[in-house]
Parts: sequence; C-alpha cells; structure tokens
Amino acid sequence: MPDIQLKDVTKRFGNSTIIPRFDASIKDGEFLVLLGPSGCGKSTLLRMIAGLTEITDGALAFDGQDVTDWSPSRRGVAFVFQSYALYPHMTVRENIAFPLLMDAFRTWHHIPLVSSIVRWKLMRRPDIASRTNQIAEQLELTPLMDRRPASLSGGQRQRVALARSLVRDPSLYLLDEPLSNLDAKLRTQMRSEISALHQRVRKTFIYVTHDQVEAMTMATNIIVMNDGEIQQIGTPDEIYARPANTFVARFVGAPPMNLLGVRRDGSRLALDGGAGWRHPGALPADERLILGLRPERLTLLPEGRPGIPAQVVLVERLGAEVILGCRAISADGKSSGDLLRQDLIFVRVAGNPHVAPGAKVSLGYDADAATWYSADTEQALPDPRPVSATAEA
Amino acid sequence: MTSKRLTSLLHVVLVLALVIFGGFPIYWMATTALSLNSELYNTGQVPWPQLGNLPAMLTDLTQLPLMRWLVNTGIIAVGTTTLSLVLGALAGYALSRFRFHGKGALGFLMFMTQVVPEALILVPLYAMFITLGLLNSLLGLVLANVGFSLPVAAFIIKGAIDAVPYEIEESAAVDGCPRISVLTMIVLPIIAPSLAAAAVISFFAGWNEYLFAATFLRDRELWPASVGLASFIGQYETPLSAVMGAALIFSLPAVVFFLLIQRKIVAGITAGAVKG
Repeated sequence: MPDIQLKDVTKRFGNSTIIPRFDASIKDGEFLVLLGPSGCGKSTLLRMIAGLTEITDGALAFDGQDVTDWSPSRRGVAFVFQSYALYPHMTVRENIAFPLLMDAFRTWHHIPLVSSIVRWKLMRRPDIASRTNQIAEQLELTPLMDRRPASLSGGQRQRVALARSLVRDPSLYLLDEPLSNLDAKLRTQMRSEISALHQRVRKTFIYVTHDQVEAMTMATNIIVMNDGEIQQIGTPDEIYARPANTFVARFVGAPPMNLLGVRRDGSRLALDGGAGWRHPGALPADERLILGLRPERLTLLPEGRPGIPAQVVLVERLGAEVILGCRAISADGKSSGDLLRQDLIFVRVAGNPHVAPGAKVSLGYDADAATWYSADTEQALPDPRPVSATAEA
Repeated sequence: MTSKRLTSLLHVVLVLALVIFGGFPIYWMATTALSLNSELYNTGQVPWPQLGNLPAMLTDLTQLPLMRWLVNTGIIAVGTTTLSLVLGALAGYALSRFRFHGKGALGFLMFMTQVVPEALILVPLYAMFITLGLLNSLLGLVLANVGFSLPVAAFIIKGAIDAVPYEIEESAAVDGCPRISVLTMIVLPIIAPSLAAAAVISFFAGWNEYLFAATFLRDRELWPASVGLASFIGQYETPLSAVMGAALIFSLPAVVFFLLIQRKIVAGITAGAVKG
C-alpha cells in the first residue's frame, strides 16, 4: 500500500471550517510530518485519514481506491494517540495482542461472556502468542508483559502503544503527537526509536507534531499547515532553506529566520528605523521587501565592516554555541525598532565569542544566505541571483 | 502520653463508639431471636444471647415458609440488579457518548423518577399492572423496582463513562472492535467499581422491597421475606423471637453480597482522586 491521495478534503464543524480545502499526495514508505501550530487542523486531518472523524467534503483514496466512507478498522491503519490510549484493565500482553484478537474474532464472539472465553482461548493460540512476543521483544517489552499500564513509565507506555500498532503489520502508521507527554530526554530517545522503526518496517508514517525539531529530525517530507491550509510541502532541507512564506520562515527554526522589512535603494537596503547597508548581491525588483536570514548564516564582524550595522543587546550562552540578539542601528548610532524581542536580529555563533551586551558590531552575510519575500503577499520571491550563482549555491 | 498516642487513642474510642452504635441493633436482634416469647412479653428481655434457646428458635423458623420468601426476595433483588445494570449500562453509555435531540429532557425525566415518592404512583401502577397482567407476579415487581433503580444506575454509569478518555474507544475502533464490544470489553471493565456501586444500590432496592410487594402480590407463596415477616405482626400477638430470627437470616445474604462487592466500591469511590 498505499499511495494516499487527499482530494479537496474539507472539514466543517457546524458553521466553523477547520480545513477549507486540502489537496495532497503521500507516497508509499514516506515519513510525512504534518507540522503546524496548535489548532491548525493537523490532528483533525490525521483523524480523517484514520476514519475517526468524518470528512465533510472531498475524497480520500488509498492507492486509487476511495476509502472516504470506510470504517477505521477496514482502512487497516495503526493509530498511536497522544495519550497512548492503552486499555488500563489489560496487561501489556493483552494490550499488544488485542488487534490480533479482533482480527480472529467472528461476529458471534462479540457476545458478552462468549467474548471473554474466546479471548482467553485466542491468547493461547501459538501464532498470536508468538507474534505478540516477537513484537514485545523488538520493543524491549518482554519483562513487562504481565504488568498493567498504570505501573509503567511514560516511555514504556509509549512503547506499548507502538507495539500495539505494529502487531498487525499495517501498511500505514498514523501518529498523533506521540511524544508530547514525555520529558525532554525521553523524547529525544523515542524520536530515534521511531525513526529506526520507520527504517526497519519501511511503511508509510504520517506523524503530527507542533515541534519543528521532531519534524526536521524524523521526516522525509513535511507539510507545514496553518489555519487548515497547506503553507508548504517539501523535504526538511527545502523547508528550512527556502521557506515558502513568512509563516513557514517564522515557524521553522529556533531561533526563527530573521525577517527584516526593508526598502531597496539601488544596491542599498534600509530598515524603517533608518539603518542601512549595501547588499552583497543582486536584489529583486520590488521596492519594499522582506529579507529573510537564518541566524547561522549571519557572521559577527567588527563595527564598520560591510554588513548590517547593529548593537548586541542579548547574549544567550548554550554551551556549544551562543545566540546573540542584536538591534540594527543607523549611522548616527540610533537603534531601529523597539525593545521587543521580535525586533531583534538573532545570530548563532559557534563556540564562545567574548561579546557583551552593548557591543557595536556589523552583521555580515553572503548573497546566497538571503531569502526574499514580497512585503505585500509575504510569499517567497524568486531568487534574484543569476542562474549560474544559484546552481553554485 | 504524647499527643500522637492520645490522638490515636481518641480515634480508637471514636471507632469503637461508632461500631457499638451501628452494631447494637443487630446484636439486639440476635438477642431477641434467642429469647423466649414469654420472657419478652412478661419478665423482660435478657440483654445477652441465650444460646440454649437456639433449638427452639430453629423449630419456630422451620414452621415458616422462610426459604420460599428468601428465594422470592433473591429473585426480585437479582432481577432488579441485572436489569438495572444491563439497561443502565446502555442508557449511561448513550447519555455519555451520543448527542441526540431531547438528551437534556430525557436526563431530567430520569431524575424526576427519584423525586416522585413510590406511594404516589402506587395506584396508577396498580391499574397499569392489571392491564398488562403483571399483577401478582414477581416479574411485575422486578419491573416496578427497575423503574426506580435504573435511573440511578444509569446516572452512576454515565458519570463513570464520562471520565473514560474517548481515545481508548477510538483506539479499540481502529483495532477492529465493534461498538457493542467497545462497551462490553473495554468500557465496562474500566468502570467496574462504578458498576459495583450501581449494583449495590439496585440490589438493596430490590432486597428491601416492601411497598410494591405488599400491594401487588396477593399469593403468600410469592411474598418476599419483608412482606412475610411483616405479616406476623398481629393485632394481639407478635412472635417476636421468630420474627427476629427470620430477620437475622434475611439480612445475612445481603451482608455477604455487600462484603463481596465492597472492595470494588471503595476502589470506585477513590478512583480519579489522584492523577494517574
């Protein structure tokens, strides 16, 4: 399975439209991350793919087969919930085996009391027992098989939830912010485990998160969403290097991309507050522009060298690197913008430069570090450099 | 004596006082059962059990259709409990999980059944039972009791289901579990303590049934123990020791039922008290 096609998928709750119109295609074996802020509709979209939430309009197809009206179980997907959704009255073994038992159940097995007896019998069936044990072993759950979820740690519960989704060997895995309840250390560990799992099973994963670090580290493809609409589709590198609009630029990266509203005057650029400098390359034709610069693409130069004249106002030492918050200053030494953090130009500097707040510096950058956005539409503008220079970059 | 020990001593005294206060009626019932009627009515009751009178009490009891009445009581109690739990689980689940027109009104009407006194609907119910042919039958009595205990059971179960995360049900649906099995295999085991609480309430409503039984059941053979025992209270004489002996036996199954189920109820009361 399946290439997944979402065609004009819409979701409305009463009069409120959560997803206006969503078109996307997901290839077999992809690790797709739906990334966006809380409330942007990414979980709703995932639930619609799983069949847990009805699609108001449009169609969902797996390998060309319309599955819009199929029940969740018929779609043959695995879903890992943010809250793990383990069955608290069952042991780890019973939790993992549950999907296999449901596959083996016949209609009349669902009669109360009969179901208990059939479950008891099926748990002892060699194929079910061995498959359960095999998955448990893969996820290092063997010593915990007879414990109940309440006595497990967050990471162990998460692994049980993953084991339960793996056991049926589905071709599509849907994961709804599965790491958000874990502490930072465990989150890092589980991130690697899920990535390794994807490498091993080679199935399609659709992963919802608002954490851009998770998206960047795990995804083969990312869909950035806002207000139910796709902002950009691309690989992590594409999205990081060339954000399609200012929303993506601000959302992806920590600290985010510096977005400077500038006026073009020949080959010079000027901020609204008066600071100006000569841009080291070609410029787009528009007079008013937004210049996007990633913090690590800026270099700290002595005052007076070519670059954005600035004053350091914030120094955050992170050990291996330092984040500097700078404010652009005009030729007469006045700063541009208010004292708000969002007015700062962030610079990421490796090592431990001895810079103190108040120091006057120049922020240098190469022409290929710049991403240009229209001041009117906030959409990315084509790279103004000659084609040969773009290819080199 | 340290204040800690004094507090502990006070606790013990308080608990003992409560135990004596609660247990004395049962003790007095046993003492009365083991007294002779002549003592009770003439010389005064001996305030401790006279075990020597046990054979006489048992002989008195064998002359009563006590077993038949107890079985009737059991049928009413178990029938009421079973029906209340089965229907209460379905109703509670629907009230908790489904959105439908008139849900609020339905909840209000169910609540109103607890406000209306049983005695008030005795006559209309009597007339209805004549029409339905349910008069003088244990089934009719079970249905009448279910009418009162079902709303309580449904609301207890609804409250418990409200606290079960919906993701668990969705997870089961993705795993291929049909909705009815989601209820029976996933939801109901999770809310077992609340089911136990609902079971106790329904069971005792049925076990202690008197008013409807005394009104709707004409045959002595169909009486539950409560009505049977009350029938011995005469205008001129009441065989007090036999009645008390029977009452003692009457309370035993209820005590056993409660002891069996009490651990679940305590778990139910404390469930959700701590984050976990």
